[in-house]
Amino acid sequence: MTNDKATGDELDGGVPYRSRRRVLVRAGVPVAVAAVIAAGIGLVPALAADSPPDLPTLTAEQIVAKALGSQTQALSGTVTVSTDLGLPSQLLGMAGGLGGAGGGVGSGGTGASGQSSPADPQGKLLGLLGGDRTLRVAVDGPEHQRVDMMENMAGYTMVRNGDQAWAWDSSTNSALHLIGAAAQLPRKQADQHPGAPLSELPTTPQEAARQVLTASAGTTSVTVAGTANVAGQKAYQLSVKPTQSGSTVAEVRIAVAADNGVPLAVAVKSTDGTTVLDLRFTDVSFAKPAAKTFDFTAPKGAKVTEKKADQAAAEAAAEGKAAAGANGGDHEHLNVIGEGWTAVVATQLPGGPVEVPKDGKHAGRGSVNPQGLIKSLGKQVAGGTLISTKVVNVLLTDDGRVFAGAVTLPVLQHAAGVN
Amino acid sequence: MSRAEAAGGTGTAGRTEAVPAVGRRPRTTAGFLALFGNELHLTFRRMRTKVLLGILAVLPVLIGVVVKLNTDGPHEGGGGPSFIAQTTQNGLFLVFTALAVALPVFLPMTVGVVAGDAVAGEAATGTLRYLLVAPAGRTRLLAAKFTAGLVFCLAATAAVAVAALATGAALFPLGEVTLISGDTIGLADALLRAVLVAGVVAASLAGLVAIGLFVSTLTGSGIAAMAATVGLVITVQILDAFPQLDAIRPFLFTHYWLSFSDLLREPMYWDGVLKDLGLQAAYVAVFGSAAWSRFTSRDISA
Repeated sequence: MTNDKATGDELDGGVPYRSRRRVLVRAGVPVAVAAVIAAGIGLVPALAADSPPDLPTLTAEQIVAKALGSQTQALSGTVTVSTDLGLPSQLLGMAGGLGGAGGGVGSGGTGASGQSSPADPQGKLLGLLGGDRTLRVAVDGPEHQRVDMMENMAGYTMVRNGDQAWAWDSSTNSALHLIGAAAQLPRKQADQHPGAPLSELPTTPQEAARQVLTASAGTTSVTVAGTANVAGQKAYQLSVKPTQSGSTVAEVRIAVAADNGVPLAVAVKSTDGTTVLDLRFTDVSFAKPAAKTFDFTAPKGAKVTEKKADQAAAEAAAEGKAAAGANGGDHEHLNVIGEGWTAVVATQLPGGPVEVPKDGKHAGRGSVNPQGLIKSLGKQVAGGTLISTKVVNVLLTDDGRVFAGAVTLPVLQHAAGVN
Repeated sequence: MSRAEAAGGTGTAGRTEAVPAVGRRPRTTAGFLALFGNELHLTFRRMRTKVLLGILAVLPVLIGVVVKLNTDGPHEGGGGPSFIAQTTQNGLFLVFTALAVALPVFLPMTVGVVAGDAVAGEAATGTLRYLLVAPAGRTRLLAAKFTAGLVFCLAATAAVAVAALATGAALFPLGEVTLISGDTIGLADALLRAVLVAGVVAASLAGLVAIGLFVSTLTGSGIAAMAATVGLVITVQILDAFPQLDAIRPFLFTHYWLSFSDLLREPMYWDGVLKDLGLQAAYVAVFGSAAWSRFTSRDISA
């Protein structure tokens, strides 16, 4: 047997190997297989997103009423959250310590604490701000809720069952247990600055939709944008747009289930055209979840931090005050300037007014100096330093005040009294 | 330790029986099974394979001892490989820890050695031409080699899992298992999940077997094929670490490897695992057919 073509006549069913036609045909097979698979990957989503369903025409008001008046108490499903805020990652890490400077997006800012349980929800919720997450949610009325955050090779679970609430973090094997009538795990800071939509981090499309539709009623235009299929449900699409100029949010799209008015998807587009937040059910069921879903007991061997709910709230408040006091500034609580979509949250940075040379080069480099950090991240504008993300802009004035909101720079400068 | 030796032993006996006429190969499953048995023998009788499996079995022991020493010391909780916090509570979790540690490097390395050497190694030692003289057919030979590679994946995963279970049982308490969603299940249930996870891990190496086999048909040097396959695994994992490559990452064959951890939630979350298995099937189809195309239309001169 040699390599010579003429004598390359090893037989396999009578066909000589290495005939040119045979080589070409055989080489075509893997190419064809790859092409078929690629076409399949391309086509399947296209087929899945079939034509929008036919639904009776409703006005925007009727759909909003349907969404807000939804009687559905029980559901379970999978929610994907993808965020593309363009936040500097160092800032995310600092957000807790900034005492609410990031309040425009964060879950409030009272989470600065050294001795809290590793299972504290604040940090976990902030983690939602970066990248894509998958959550599994189950709800049965206001008393029973469960959210499972699926992390990479780990899990974080929040369960509320009547007056008991648990947060469990598998990577540290620790749990936080709240007892009390107001056992409400994360957030509920919204009442502090009610004017700003999306001022707290929603974990379900319902919460997000409710925030958008209720918080900004006077400054919003709502129109119907056709229908769509979301998580196998027929849904109306609402398009919510700010009527005020100066907002960086261009449009919020909300898909409302035609059957029962449950919001199934919320997508926020910024004025530069990118989708900054996309929160949707990929799979949903309106059957009542099994009661044992909400039965949580501390796993054997876990480190459990017990807290009374009222005590937890008081502690959080005290910590906030202590942080403010320790930092020497006459720290006022968060102020909200303006209303609706152009609301600006104003606060004083911990660290107090710092003497900063005019050129801004001498800002402290220490890891605990938020002002130095912001100055190193931001760019100089009239009146201070601007940190710009896809939606939220933060202005740090030279005298240490912070203005943040989903608004353009001129609005922030106006709020700060800078011209 | 070569093909000639193995084929001279058990292989030829089965083959000569199954040869009815020169030039016509028997179209029976018995023919395939004889070839497959022969491949299996060749793979597992090699000292190299035994050493690889031995290394895989030592790895969980090492992890177990380190975790044990570490938790007795001052660094309790936090940091380290995945599931460490769970492992100290329950020895069964050492199975998942060990698989999570072995899956990115050790398992693909051993699979790459076995799959990469499958054809090229025989070509290098000059035994491939003798194999092809027997009327077994190249397609069938390739199928037998691929199946033997899959069996090796199972064996390698089982080596890690069984050694981890034994080590975990010896060093840590067994009993009810806390899943990463915080729910607790009984030991029997947890063992079932361990078997399921091991099966998923073995199956997620199938794409790599096909790639290794394809590389192996390209060259006449066994070492080159092994190095190329293992190098490819490493390169792909590096690419998978770049968030800038988001557009292609879901199509890299290593991307969903660690999704087996989703089976440790209650209820199990199959999304990532199914994507992983689908992706492996696609890689097997593409690179399997590429290997077939190359192997059935090339000259075998060694």
